[in-house]
Amino acid sequence: MERITIDPITRLEGHGKIEIFLNEEGNVKNAYLQIPELRGFEQFSIGRPAEEMPRITNRICGVCPEAHHMAATKALDALFDIDPAPVVKKLRELFYSSFYVTDHTVHFYALGGPDFVLGPDSDPAERNILGVIHKVGVDIGIQVIECRKRNHDVIKMLGGRGVHPVAGLPGGWSKSMTKEEREIILDYSQKNIEFALFSLKIFDDIVLANQAYVDLIVSDAFTHNTYYMGTVDDKNLVNFYDGLIRVTGPEGKELVKYPSKDYAQHIAERVEPWSYLKFPYLKDVGWNGFTDGVDSGVYCATPLSRLNAADGMATPKAQEHFERFYETLGSKKVDGRYTPVHHRLATHWARLVELLYAAERMQELANDPEILDPNVRPIVTNTPTEGVGSVEAPRGTLTHHYKTDENGILTDVNLIVGTTNNNAPIAMSIKKAAEGLIKGGVVNEGLLNTIEMAFRNYDPCMSCATHSLPGQMPLEVEIKDSEGNLIDTHRQYID
Amino acid sequence: MTRESILEAGYLFIMDKKTLIIGLGNPILTDDGVGVKVARELEEQINLEAHPELSITEASAGGLRLMEALLGYERVILIDAFYLDPESTTPGKIHHLSLDDLRSISPTQHSTSAHDTSLVTALDTAEKLGYQIPGEFYIYAVEVENILEFSETPTPAVSKSIPIVVSQILKKFSFTTH
Repeated sequence: MERITIDPITRLEGHGKIEIFLNEEGNVKNAYLQIPELRGFEQFSIGRPAEEMPRITNRICGVCPEAHHMAATKALDALFDIDPAPVVKKLRELFYSSFYVTDHTVHFYALGGPDFVLGPDSDPAERNILGVIHKVGVDIGIQVIECRKRNHDVIKMLGGRGVHPVAGLPGGWSKSMTKEEREIILDYSQKNIEFALFSLKIFDDIVLANQAYVDLIVSDAFTHNTYYMGTVDDKNLVNFYDGLIRVTGPEGKELVKYPSKDYAQHIAERVEPWSYLKFPYLKDVGWNGFTDGVDSGVYCATPLSRLNAADGMATPKAQEHFERFYETLGSKKVDGRYTPVHHRLATHWARLVELLYAAERMQELANDPEILDPNVRPIVTNTPTEGVGSVEAPRGTLTHHYKTDENGILTDVNLIVGTTNNNAPIAMSIKKAAEGLIKGGVVNEGLLNTIEMAFRNYDPCMSCATHSLPGQMPLEVEIKDSEGNLIDTHRQYID
Repeated sequence: MTRESILEAGYLFIMDKKTLIIGLGNPILTDDGVGVKVARELEEQINLEAHPELSITEASAGGLRLMEALLGYERVILIDAFYLDPESTTPGKIHHLSLDDLRSISPTQHSTSAHDTSLVTALDTAEKLGYQIPGEFYIYAVEVENILEFSETPTPAVSKSIPIVVSQILKKFSFTTH
């Protein structure tokens, strides 16, 4: 993988741009989502001390700075060849779990959730966080904000600063936890668990109890049988902070499991003439086009993927909900593991299961007897050369790869962000959504709506207004004929 | 009462409002971080001991995170980059906007993302939930040229605007400097 694609930060201007290419019959041939590309990160980083990366890369994304901070910190562990002490790993994972609670909460209530809680055919003016609050009550809204507030407090407590954490060190963490902080965190994690269970209940009462929504979830338009990637621990259970990267197939069989440093051996990039984007695919399977199935190397990395790639969740309540998720969606156990769920809209449910796990994990780690150990700053003695660090960012496996000279000055940097993993499945989901609505060159109503729903699942790293008042997502769809001529443009909320 | 103490009383009255200066943007993306750079400059120049009601911070975040940082303040002074169509932009040009102005500007010029909401939506959400949002908003928006390339140095026109915005803010709010 040569090119660097970085998460655009939230401050970027940019509307979502989708290009749809029609064939001679006027039906959809290809579609892809264009992401504004940030340039020059490698040049910017080269010549800097690698130890600065956790504090540089946490500026890349205003939405998940914690994820970049953590991946960068782990890359430093590898670079300086230090295996962090148990207390360091636990502190980092606790911090990271708290971040997951805030991120998944906001996604469900403000972003993906509105599609369900209000329904995809609801008035766009209502289909946003305000509509959700209107439907489920002001009290819920307050709980969402309170959940974010308390976990941001934890992130600040443990990470040293709000929004852009600073605590990551090679092999260490810059501050240990005090007894007082532990009491607070235990209290907060209990509240988090209750809130997660409550959110799952909302999903039950409003989505699963509604046959129309269930039909939508299992509909073919939003179903793709691809490979799935996620990080798992030594028991093959979901872990956001550390483990091996596991890929399982459309029928549920494990394809490969590798340490993050071997990513280049397993992932290659496909270049297509009609897009500047590169499409990662599995080397162990090979590229077979933008198709589903066991012979196609297309894979995805999302909460749904993480659940599919794992054998279960490491905490009890989350495990119960994991089983319920698979049983409800008709999955069967084959060779001891559930067959995968291929319905992309189920990602929203998978996200809530992960939310519960993150909350329970926080409590577990805060109760760990070692968590107050003050020895969190090791002395680094090894000469650095090269290191890879990866974590599960909420929107997919995130990898940082650094090379330095013997003084730890960067000579090469490669970042593969969560969304990059999903370039191909996003294109496929958009194409499928468009296929149903563009026939013989005629574009039907609801194209923009359906396309939005299709790609919002992946929670892509791009700058695009969504669910803002009154439900405006700036989006531009360009439709081109079989010769590449622009024949139609559909736009919403762009001047 | 002496003239000095009358002035002092008036000074205290004006300065009593709990105020936040917040510089937005990414300081490593060329012009995008102009807001952050202005905030850092203000932090250097303002005598914070003379202003117990004032906090200065920076954030490379938008929507809900930004809204949460603003809760509890009565007055917010926000500085940010303003990216317009390259054909019609005048890099370095400074706009003074209110929250209502933000409402009427197209979403592409908001601080927005696919994982978040726009600031306006976030504030409306907070209000509907009964949170106290700041009563006064002063937005300093600087037109920018380059926000897609990594660099810690803004382009020349934008660099020139930084001291101008700083002095506009110092003057308008009568902040005491060192």
